Amino acid sequence: MNTKNNKFDMHGISRRNLMKVLAASSGAAALGLSPSRVFAAKTGKPFKIGFVTPASGPLAIFAEPDQFVLEQVKAATRDGIVIDGTHHPVEIIVKDSQSSSNRAADVAAELILNDEIDIMVAANTPETTNPVADQCEINGIPCVTNDTPWQPHFFGRGGDPKVGFEWTYHFFWGAEDIIGTSLALWEQIPTNKVIGTLWPNDSDGNAFGDPKMGFPPLLKEKGFELVDLGRYQSPSDDFSAYINEFKKQGVEIISGVIPPPDFGTFWSQAGQQGFNPMICTMAKATEFPAAIAPFGDRADGLTVEVWWSPTHPFVSGLTGQTSAELAAEYEAKTGRQWTMPLGFKHSLFEVAIDALKRSEGPGRLESIRDAIASTNYNSIVGPVNFQTGPVPNISKTPLVSGQWRKQGDRLELEIVENSQAPMIAKQAELRSLV
Amino acid sequence: MSRISSFEVSRSTRASKVALVGWIVILGVLISVPFWAGRGDMRFLIEFAYYLTLAQMWNLLAGYAGLVSVGQQAFVGLGGYMLFAASVYFGIHPVIAIPIAGVLIALISIPTAFVVFRLRGAYFAIGTWVVAEVFRLLFAQISSLGGGSGMSIPAKIVKEIASGRTERDMLIYFTALVILVAGTAMVYLLMRSKYGLALTAIRDSEPASDSLGVNIFKTKLTIYVASAAVTGVVGALIFLQKLRISPDVAFSLQDWTAAVIFIVVIGGIGTIEGPIIGTLIYFGLRSLLSDYGSIYMIVLGCVAVVMMLWAPKGVWGLITQKFDLQLFPVNRRVTWK
Repeated sequence: MNTKNNKFDMHGISRRNLMKVLAASSGAAALGLSPSRVFAAKTGKPFKIGFVTPASGPLAIFAEPDQFVLEQVKAATRDGIVIDGTHHPVEIIVKDSQSSSNRAADVAAELILNDEIDIMVAANTPETTNPVADQCEINGIPCVTNDTPWQPHFFGRGGDPKVGFEWTYHFFWGAEDIIGTSLALWEQIPTNKVIGTLWPNDSDGNAFGDPKMGFPPLLKEKGFELVDLGRYQSPSDDFSAYINEFKKQGVEIISGVIPPPDFGTFWSQAGQQGFNPMICTMAKATEFPAAIAPFGDRADGLTVEVWWSPTHPFVSGLTGQTSAELAAEYEAKTGRQWTMPLGFKHSLFEVAIDALKRSEGPGRLESIRDAIASTNYNSIVGPVNFQTGPVPNISKTPLVSGQWRKQGDRLELEIVENSQAPMIAKQAELRSLV
Repeated sequence: MSRISSFEVSRSTRASKVALVGWIVILGVLISVPFWAGRGDMRFLIEFAYYLTLAQMWNLLAGYAGLVSVGQQAFVGLGGYMLFAASVYFGIHPVIAIPIAGVLIALISIPTAFVVFRLRGAYFAIGTWVVAEVFRLLFAQISSLGGGSGMSIPAKIVKEIASGRTERDMLIYFTALVILVAGTAMVYLLMRSKYGLALTAIRDSEPASDSLGVNIFKTKLTIYVASAAVTGVVGALIFLQKLRISPDVAFSLQDWTAAVIFIVVIGGIGTIEGPIIGTLIYFGLRSLLSDYGSIYMIVLGCVAVVMMLWAPKGVWGLITQKFDLQLFPVNRRVTWK
């Protein structure tokens, strides 16, 4: 049986994998690693990390920092991971989900069944993290995900708070955090407290608009008047009905969680139809400088929840960089402005590599899973510990709110509200849009 | 009298008899796969089987019956949702839920047919697409099935399919193989029956076949319902593999119809061999190019355009032009003595 399996492994090496190994070894030579350093310890089997990311399609903007983060991780793990005196190289296999949960499930299964990975990592919206985690749970593969609010991830997969999941772990903030920071934000300036919402009929929209667990009950409690016309079907190319109703009801605050193209349509039509709210806090759509830059002056003053920024007071356990140093290196190397997924993609690999270091070695999947479960790690996005979350398998990261400010030809995100995470410093006061 | 009796109508040829042996050998190999191949190979073959079955079903509609549908994703999505509803809410074993989904979808497709059959040609195509969109929007409103957010099939239900992981993989693999063989056999037998003749007549000229006594509506309806049922069964299988369903992926035009049309057009429309070749080409291109993101889609588009311009009968059409071959003997041949 054993020899049969080995034989199969030999046939299993595809040309592409062979090329990767060759490229990695020539890369090590180029970095000037002396042979004595590489072969200091016994060399064992590699740790294989599978990584699913929306590199193309509508969510591609989330994957912008991937290349940079992967290079950093490769550099940080070029000496491999040493377990019991044996040196294990780290190999990362990247698959594009094409922003589709169908494709995400397929590539996750490919990574599990064909590449025989030791650990799976995935990030960016329920469309990516949920199908990937589902495949891992069924196939018994340790999995770490982030960048999906924890309720759509945990409850969206049918999670039971009493039992949790066996193989899949997730760290991010939740609906309660965004509700807390948003409410505190909106109370900063005097308004008529009439709020209009745009919640699409998708995982995030249904979670935020949930009449029990979402925004509505807390808004009422705090004395806000809610103008909610129901879940709309995204993508939508006409928001006139919403805008008319908002105008009629005298809405001064706009909130929602909508994809960038929808926000583009909504914000343009709001401008044309003379609807000018005092505050516009739009999750997802206005998280990215590239997505709002086309609005020019109308992007100045938009507000958004902030999950990571260069001012977050955390240090990477992988590279020793502060948040500011990480963002600066990213901007210097890529020529692009920092974005929030940069910190989270970095932390995803931090947590995975920390778990691998504490495991019993490649192929020891139970030990890798147990190492993830017992994670107690200070990452670039804050402490990660899956034992202390609101439900099993979840760890929460801090959330604040920020406002985009035009500075020269660049939009800067400044922290204007930190009631949920006081360790992150406030940089400015909220200004009204009008 | 003697002149008339001096010809013979036959269907099988020497090549088709050799091919029959070939198909039996291939089937034997496919049956043996779970006993020597890895889990990754099995998953690949399952995916191959469901795309090929979808292609055979679309080809049955468009290639043989002239019903060009761009709404087959309606039945894939319905199949997926039926599986989830049956296994999560009614506790039905997922593998048993697959044929149940087929029966229910056959029933649903009948009233659908009465709507779309009022339209012809391009209007029929758009009509089927609209039907699929209606189903997508409808399922986005059903919150017990996850609404627009979608739902995952609980790990417990999947684990209870069989006693262990290997047994589960095997059971799903054989289910996929049965669906593929049954689907292909259905097309083959339909085309050899009187329906085959009637269909060919309808596709070539509706008024002419009507005047010869072909019951156009009944023939079309039979084909439409049969293809919907099998497409639904495939949909249930697909989402048993994906483990997660949401309206956008269940009723995805690109995944379940556009890719399938590509397969049939490239392989050769109106033949049983065409979809097989098309699926091989599609999977070949995908394994070579899918890591290149949008470039992959551009290449697929270019291949489709080039084929339609220079070889509208597909790869199998090119082959039959050179060699008079038929691996699935459905056409009748006249041999003069």
